[in-house]
Amino acid sequence: MAAAEWDSRSEASPTGDWPPAAAASPVKGKAAALQESDAGASASGSSEAKVDDGNIQEAESSLREGLSLNYEEARALLGRLEYQRGNVEAALRVFDGIDLQAAIQRFQPSLSEKPLSKRSNKLRSDSSNSGSQHAASLVLEAIYLKSMSLQKLGKAMEAAKQCKSVLDAVESIFQCGIPGVMVEPKLQETVSKSVELLPELWKQAGAYQEALASYRRALLSQWNLDDECCTRIQKRFAVFLLYGGVEVTPPSLASQTEGSFVPRNNVEEAILLLMILLKKWFLGKTHWDPSVMEHLTFALSLCGQTSILAKHLEEVLPGIYPRTERWYSLALCYFAASHNEAALNLLRKSLNKNESPNDIMALLLAAKICGSNYLLSSEGVEYAKRAVKDSESSDGHLKSVALHVLGSCLSKKSKVASSDHQRSLLQTEALKSLNEAISLDRQNPELIFDMGIEYAEQRNMHAALKCAKEFIDATGGSVSKGWRLLSLVLSAQQRYSEAEVVTDAALDETAKWEQGPLLRIRAKLKVAQSLPMEAVEAYRTLLALVQAQRKAYGSAKNGTEDDEDKVSEFEVWQGLANLYSSLSYWRDAEICLQKAKALKTYSATTLHAEGNIHEVHEKIQDALAAYFNALSMEVEHVPSKVSIGALLSKQGPKFLPVARCFLSDALRLQPTNRMAWFYLGEVHKQDGRLADAADCFQAASMLEDSDPVESFRSP
Amino acid sequence: MPNDAPPPIHSAKDALDALAGILGGALPGSVASADDPAAALLSDPDVASAVTGRLRGSGSGAGNDTLCRWLYDAFRSNVAELQLAVLRFVPTLAGVYLCRAVSRKPLAGFEAVLLALYAHAAAQRGAGEAETVSLPNLANPSPYHDAKVPPKGKPVDLDVAVLSQPLEPHGTVRATRRARIVGAVLQLYHGKLAHMPLSSKMDFCEFCVAWAGTNSKLDGADKQRLPPAPDGGAEKWRRVPLPWELFQPVLQIVAHCLLGPTGSDELKAQAARAAECLYWRATETVDARAVLATRSLVRLSQMVEEPIPEPSFSGAIENMAELEAMRANILNNTK
Repeated sequence: MAAAEWDSRSEASPTGDWPPAAAASPVKGKAAALQESDAGASASGSSEAKVDDGNIQEAESSLREGLSLNYEEARALLGRLEYQRGNVEAALRVFDGIDLQAAIQRFQPSLSEKPLSKRSNKLRSDSSNSGSQHAASLVLEAIYLKSMSLQKLGKAMEAAKQCKSVLDAVESIFQCGIPGVMVEPKLQETVSKSVELLPELWKQAGAYQEALASYRRALLSQWNLDDECCTRIQKRFAVFLLYGGVEVTPPSLASQTEGSFVPRNNVEEAILLLMILLKKWFLGKTHWDPSVMEHLTFALSLCGQTSILAKHLEEVLPGIYPRTERWYSLALCYFAASHNEAALNLLRKSLNKNESPNDIMALLLAAKICGSNYLLSSEGVEYAKRAVKDSESSDGHLKSVALHVLGSCLSKKSKVASSDHQRSLLQTEALKSLNEAISLDRQNPELIFDMGIEYAEQRNMHAALKCAKEFIDATGGSVSKGWRLLSLVLSAQQRYSEAEVVTDAALDETAKWEQGPLLRIRAKLKVAQSLPMEAVEAYRTLLALVQAQRKAYGSAKNGTEDDEDKVSEFEVWQGLANLYSSLSYWRDAEICLQKAKALKTYSATTLHAEGNIHEVHEKIQDALAAYFNALSMEVEHVPSKVSIGALLSKQGPKFLPVARCFLSDALRLQPTNRMAWFYLGEVHKQDGRLADAADCFQAASMLEDSDPVESFRSP
Repeated sequence: MPNDAPPPIHSAKDALDALAGILGGALPGSVASADDPAAALLSDPDVASAVTGRLRGSGSGAGNDTLCRWLYDAFRSNVAELQLAVLRFVPTLAGVYLCRAVSRKPLAGFEAVLLALYAHAAAQRGAGEAETVSLPNLANPSPYHDAKVPPKGKPVDLDVAVLSQPLEPHGTVRATRRARIVGAVLQLYHGKLAHMPLSSKMDFCEFCVAWAGTNSKLDGADKQRLPPAPDGGAEKWRRVPLPWELFQPVLQIVAHCLLGPTGSDELKAQAARAAECLYWRATETVDARAVLATRSLVRLSQMVEEPIPEPSFSGAIENMAELEAMRANILNNTK
């Protein structure tokens, strides 16, 4: 280093910081004397420092312990002073002259001998140990500060190399890890700080693999770190693993006991560390850090493991989260894990008038959960209405969302309405809510879709068609349910060939494996057009697909696949059976039914189909028995109710009241059931209520023009 | 892809020459003769702006788009550094593609590149392999902690989560598979994020905001503080369907931009904005999983990172004068 450079630098820096340098050293002679005892200690003997002992604490203690300050140590002290004053560049110049390797060589023997000489000469060894520890501490601290200085000057790579050399030195001095009790606090502090600093420096330098290695080195080697320091490193490592964008090799299997968990990838390792951090907090070893829970939330929700997240949230001690917030977070976890009931119970507590009844997010979630269940739809309507009200008073962002869930809940509620009047009121209200939601948010295709379904179910096919088309446009045809809705709406309008074109277009946009539901629609469209041969062909294609799927996935269904998108083999046989019986191919129909039965022994649909066959063969008692069996399988099986009603209506006047009962019941469950209306009309006619009969027939004929080939909502 | 095929690409130099031919005057001469062509392709700002400009331009991505052909060839060259250079453009590619695909424009050029990337991702993963995560259970010991179970005891069974479904082969982009294909490509990009230049990530966050389509829901104050979204004026990037298979990798990349070791405040600000837009998008459908993940990101973006501890100096140095003398001594000795 050039002195001139040094001088210019120190001139440039504001001298006001400096204390007057006038006082001359009073003890020059003493320093010279000291120099002798220090002979050979320094690597650069000629430029041996003429050191003042002064009152410097460290220098003094060094001297007390029988070691003098050598050149490195003096520099170390000086550099530290410069650093402390914020003169980073100056400090760096002073530090630059320190030869770490030489220093380590010097420290090494005395320290590594320690375990051997410990018993024989405890006193001497201890004193020499602490003496050289002190010297080592000074030099290592200097290198650590050098690294900090470099980092402050933006030289992260060099800083990292310096910092690493500190750790290498410590490792070569203490070959069996740092013992807990024998280490001087200052040295331990330098070690801990360097261990913590190194990975950050590598990260800043963009050397991510080195950062990774140094994190693991920090956590897996014996550095005798305190809990807080270790916690900080673990957290930063977890963050690095989660967000570093680096593909990481797993930690080595070496030194692992059997049954221990070795993470295989970034996410596993990060989650492990975060869980350990939380546990440390539960055990009172560290302070609470809210970010740990947020990182864990992010990681576990990405994996879809929200029920595990819920466990961790439940373990958080009281006093950290306000309880309504905790309930809401838990409800999100449970709902995401399909534990709707648990989620709703928490939200009910949270939305209680004594807690936070106006929490709009909780209201929306509660309404959404209720909207998926007929029995809860009334409750859902209440929540949604409160949410709409709240959203008006707040920023209004969520109003369309609130109206959307309100519409869904109302629509659900209309299905279980006790009277026609109430039903139509609810339906109107549902449409109104959805409409209003759309007017606030024209961007959201989901809204348009739900609107389309609502229109379709209310048999407003024209509007439904518009919505279905709009949905397909807004999603670029990338969502299957849009195609499905369009095709079904067209089928309800008896525009079968157009529906087929749409189905074919949808098939084009769908990978083979997911074509099941579309192929089923295609088969049903063929049936509806009375094209039996083509229908059989379509079912055959569908059957081939379904069987291939069954083979590919094996019989072990893990349930994680989206099963609602798959057609079951049972359904195919059932469909074929219906087709064959409509063609009066009884033998074939029965074979198909047997196949269906083999797959699902107790099914209302199969029993109903059997009943049909019996009925055609005029085995009235058998047919009735089959229908009733079907009803005992599924209390609300509408086709069976209709069939029973129809069958009884033909058995003479004394059965008419019973028939009427079954048919009305069927209509309560499914007001758009055309056949139920038709047979109810028959019953009225036979009973002589001609006006009523006419009404029923009219309803039946109107509905005939608006029956889709299968239900609008996915089965 | 046109029949009059350009010469095959075997090296970064070939690729740069071919690119210079395609872009013509848009590429400065200094770049075309760069010493390290691979580095130029990956991180040279002129190359980046020329290529992304072309990708964003109207009419890009058609079957006869020579730039798409170049991306395709460069990626298929199997030169690792060239593949990185192609991945660098994934944000723009996916961004423009998804926005335009909704309007069902012919985009065979984009799709060819995306399918090549997807095939690579699928091959990397292995046929029929899902990407899974075994969730640690602290009852089992690990390299980072000890557990109190007796060593003989059976380890507690782990829950296994599926992070991403198996990638089945696709020869064409069917609309209902679009999200999965682009999602897998984004995952590929995510795996190489550490190599990607800042501008590529900035592009990604910009498109995220557009994809989410909830920009209007950000607070007014927020909008002013953040830099306005660059608006080429040419085309308005639009909201796109974001099913989970797309949403998930998008979130992972945004999370990296927000919390990863990039050290860029500009990127962090843009990523925070993207995270917030995605949060609003998730609340639109009350999708609990997405709400949880995005809410955490938004919260984390508002937390202050703990700084690295500074060195502590115990015990004040009292005799400055003598230290001064010592300093002088040492300095004299170092000549």
